[in-house]
Amino acid sequence: MPLPTRIIEAPLRLLGEYNVDCVIVGGVAAAIHGSSLLTSDLDVCYARDAANLRRLAEALQSVHARLRNAPEGLPFILDAETLRRGLNFTFATDIGDLDLLGEVRGIGHYEAVVTDSVTVELFGHSFAVIDIGKLIIAKRAAGRPKDLVALPELEAIQEAQVIPNDSEPESQN
Amino acid sequence: MRASIEDYFLHPPAGSAAARATQFGIDLTLTLGNLRLTPEERIRKLDGFIESVNNLKNSIRVKGTADAIADQDH
Repeated sequence: MPLPTRIIEAPLRLLGEYNVDCVIVGGVAAAIHGSSLLTSDLDVCYARDAANLRRLAEALQSVHARLRNAPEGLPFILDAETLRRGLNFTFATDIGDLDLLGEVRGIGHYEAVVTDSVTVELFGHSFAVIDIGKLIIAKRAAGRPKDLVALPELEAIQEAQVIPNDSEPESQN
Repeated sequence: MRASIEDYFLHPPAGSAAARATQFGIDLTLTLGNLRLTPEERIRKLDGFIESVNNLKNSIRVKGTADAIADQDH
């Protein structure tokens, strides 16, 4: 079976097409902010209202999402009710891996994560991306080596964002 | 991109986060290259890297299998 391609783009398009309310977090958010570190799956923090869970479940069903690294034969019904009963999920899908976070460590639930987020246009859809300051807090809170190694570059990008504007050329008048 | 931002990454001021990142081993010219792209271009670039790595892994597996078959023939 051929490996899926565009494994970040394709899940993003899916979430956009199903109008899922979510915030891009994790390594893909770092890449969108400009980080050069590699990541191979998409992490999003999702809104947990009933309508969004329904849209999310439909989106996941359309790409045959299954729990990643779960024992073979583990009973799992992918619907809004299952998403409501859980919080964080790691899925493999036909188009790439997708991690759903109901809560981001160090920040909180969707409402806290979406606050101060930046909106970017990707593949014809608008997406919220976690604010770089919050991303740094989240990565520090996660504390895994792969999170900590990302901090120096993210802190440099954050600092660059507040460099004062270049001085305007003086008027010739 | 503003010249002051380019300068920040290419010539990190002493005591800055960029200076600490450089000291940590981060190649900030790569970061600067990313910042010159649009967010969508950054995702496409990331996907390109992932695809290259996956293709490489796949070719190593195929090569490994072919070598094993060749060894059995001898």
